[in-house]
Amino acid sequence: MNMNRALFRLSLAVLLMFVLLLLNVNYVQAFQSTSLANRPGNARTFDAQFQYQRGSIVAAGTGGPTTIAESVPTKASTSGNTIYQRHYPDGPMYAAITGYDSIYGATGVESAYSKDLEGTAPGLAVHNLISLLTGKAKQGASVNLTVSPAAQKAAYQALQQEGRQAGVVALNPRTGAILAMDSYPSYNPNLLTTFDGTKLNKVDKQLLTQPSQPLLNRAINQTYPPGSSFKIITGAAGFSTGKLASPQTTVSAPQPLRLPNGNFLNNDGDETCFGGQPQVIQAFLLSCNTAFANIGMKVGGPALQSQANKFGWNDANLTIPMQVSPSVIPKETDPSFTAMGSIGQFDDQVTPLQEALDAAAIANHGTLMKPYLLQSVLAPDLTTIASTTPSVLSQAVTPQVASDMQSMMVQVTQNTAGTAYQTAGPPAVGSLVIAGKTGTAENTVSGAGLDDAVFTCFAPANNPQIAVGVIVKGGGFGADAAAPIAVKIIEAYLGVH
Amino acid sequence: MLAFAVAVVVFAYANVGFGLNGKLPSGLVEYGLAFAAIIAVAHLAVRRFAPWADPLMLPLAALLNGLGIVMIYRLQESGRNGNPGNQISTISSSTTTSQVLYSAVGVAAFVCVLVFIRDVKVLQRYTYTLGAIGLILIALPAVPGMPNSTVPGTGAKIQIGIGGFTLQPEQFGELALAVFFAGYLVTKRDVLSLAGRRFLGIDLPRARDLGPVLIAWGASLLVLVFESDIGTSALFFGLFVAMMYIATQRTSWLLIGVLLFVFGAYVASKLFSHVGVRFAVWLHPWAGNTPTHNGYQTVQGLEGLGFGGIFGQGLGHGQPFWTPLVQSDFIMTAFGEELGLTGLMAMLLIFGLLVQRGLRASIAVRDPFAKLLGGGLSFAIALQVFIIVGGVTNLIPLTGITTPFLSQGGSSLIAVWALVALLMRISDTARRPAPQPIQDEGMTQVVRAG
Repeated sequence: MNMNRALFRLSLAVLLMFVLLLLNVNYVQAFQSTSLANRPGNARTFDAQFQYQRGSIVAAGTGGPTTIAESVPTKASTSGNTIYQRHYPDGPMYAAITGYDSIYGATGVESAYSKDLEGTAPGLAVHNLISLLTGKAKQGASVNLTVSPAAQKAAYQALQQEGRQAGVVALNPRTGAILAMDSYPSYNPNLLTTFDGTKLNKVDKQLLTQPSQPLLNRAINQTYPPGSSFKIITGAAGFSTGKLASPQTTVSAPQPLRLPNGNFLNNDGDETCFGGQPQVIQAFLLSCNTAFANIGMKVGGPALQSQANKFGWNDANLTIPMQVSPSVIPKETDPSFTAMGSIGQFDDQVTPLQEALDAAAIANHGTLMKPYLLQSVLAPDLTTIASTTPSVLSQAVTPQVASDMQSMMVQVTQNTAGTAYQTAGPPAVGSLVIAGKTGTAENTVSGAGLDDAVFTCFAPANNPQIAVGVIVKGGGFGADAAAPIAVKIIEAYLGVH
Repeated sequence: MLAFAVAVVVFAYANVGFGLNGKLPSGLVEYGLAFAAIIAVAHLAVRRFAPWADPLMLPLAALLNGLGIVMIYRLQESGRNGNPGNQISTISSSTTTSQVLYSAVGVAAFVCVLVFIRDVKVLQRYTYTLGAIGLILIALPAVPGMPNSTVPGTGAKIQIGIGGFTLQPEQFGELALAVFFAGYLVTKRDVLSLAGRRFLGIDLPRARDLGPVLIAWGASLLVLVFESDIGTSALFFGLFVAMMYIATQRTSWLLIGVLLFVFGAYVASKLFSHVGVRFAVWLHPWAGNTPTHNGYQTVQGLEGLGFGGIFGQGLGHGQPFWTPLVQSDFIMTAFGEELGLTGLMAMLLIFGLLVQRGLRASIAVRDPFAKLLGGGLSFAIALQVFIIVGGVTNLIPLTGITTPFLSQGGSSLIAVWALVALLMRISDTARRPAPQPIQDEGMTQVVRAG
């Protein structure tokens, strides 16, 4: 039977077909399994990344510890597995710090310390191995922050009460530890922890299209003109370069000041300043523009920028660990522009964090500490696997210059003529001495009519424990809008009222 | 063996319930009894009408049919009745019941074939009639004005609507055409195997004998063009070429057939965008992974297989609902996801065994028509499994055809039960002991003339 030979050969072909199928499913299911699981957008392995408990974020500073982000078990709708959903107990209050952890990505501390929170950081390798061997579920490490719940709550409430777009940072001038950081308007990060991608896209789009930009962290990622608060840098540059001998040195402060390019520069309200010949300290407490414009021109653009850089300006690499937008003062060679820059106008741009750093450097005898958020990382068994040792960012000024600047900043609140006497001086805070500087920056960009209000300060003046930088967009006079916010944070943190 | 197959199915069904929500599934007794009764009827029919048939075929078919019902139940329950997972919109809450009913109809067809076709040779009488019927059945959905002729979500025009039911006539057309091919080739095989010229060691057929193969090629291309059904087109043509080869034993026919098909497929991929898309997805399945992207179904199937890994997620523990239309063409990926590589290989081996038993029966049977028909039908199952499983595992470009016994839907299930009945009839004929000779051959006187 010839046909049987053909049938036999056909059987071999059939065998070959099935062998091919078997080899291919082996390839797909055994060899490709892992790479398929790691494909972006793989809906099946989507749950897996939420089946472990992500570590908590804890505000461990004064008034704490308070858990500000945690993972709570919930039932997955698709797989039926227990998965953990991120929850922020005081969402909007800490949003500028925690950021959010969504299915599409994370921001803030959630992003910066994601490896520790996920439990994949190298320091957790041994711990993970033990968990694996003992059959315990993988768990992320908790991240303890330097944030003080007391200070953060005060900052959040003060910004809410003020109600205008604003950013604030409070830090410990001795260490650089960030005590509070807030941005107004804030958002509720709990809205972004949904597992529903469509819903998340909707929330995200809504937040992104709001003109008030709630997702923007104004404390570190938005710059404003510093206005008169920049006179701290100009003053420090004067002392450091020897152009000013002491706070009592007399400087020329005409009203108006004719600039080399023929334009006129005026004092606030076109007022005269101690007859046009004030001491530096007098010009500082009244915030005379013409006096500091003259100082700036004496110091010169390059030296002024160099001094600012020592305070941390123009640093594009600063992280806390979130990336901080650099505060900018350009190198001016034209004395007229240098004069404008010396009083925080023209092209100067500053973040609320930089304002706090300016004050902190003065408070810490001229030594600028690197700002940071992380106190420690605790493994699930509570062993510390990482912690921050405070480090010096730069020596901004000598202790002598810092001392001179401190005495001038104290006058701003303690002298009855000082710009912040009413809002941050004895009428407001009694015996607590705050050293500060106001700023009222003409905001040509906003067009809102009102100037941006700036206040930078530290307290107590003789034993600084907290430095604060506040900027309120369109807040008007710095002492009125910004200073009260700083005062509330200081009082809450120091526990005085 | 049969009891074992039923037990495996009932066990798998119970497993789905435990996997989904930790309870025995509702309907365990009803579905279990119904399935056992259906298979018992099939078994009794075999005992009565085809007692010498291969004893392995029915258990294999029953096991596959039962596992198909179990998986369809599992997919139906996804996201329904408080079970985890998303609902599959293309499955209704009565799909499992329908599938059990289709199984009953399928087994009824199986019994009818065994009862009414006592020897497949009777079919040879209807060679051309069945050929015409087959062509009509295949062409029916392409007739303009036919209701419901497009399968939702695929664009393939392979079904017609009859009073609320949809029918895929090509599934039955395949059977009719196999009979026609067998009848035609049995009479023409001597002519077709006449060698023409020899070229490169291969006997080329005479040019005028190319006619039938060209007609079959043209018909399969027409299916491709007018019904957008690449898989069925490949299946018909492959069936024809294989039967041609069995009939003539000429390798040249195989080569000509394969070349014609590759050429046809290449031209089609250039001319028709839906064919070209299949090739593009085959080569670059990950070019996009949005629900609207062409490769989405393939990607979901592959990710499901990968998710299953070697041992599978377990019945009810996988997430096969992500794959669109997983209950039909892609049902094997659902098995791979929940039963793993081991389970999927076992199921492929069951198919392989069934095909092997069919081929074995064809080799054993004496009648050339039965031999040809049995070989063709067995190969059809193998080819169908190869095309669809190869497609969903991205071994070859995906062409949508049903997975025999497993896919949701009645036409395919009923047709494949009828097919198995034909194979069992051939097997019964082959293994039937030869009738006792009435006369003793040795005593016959041979009278030589002159």
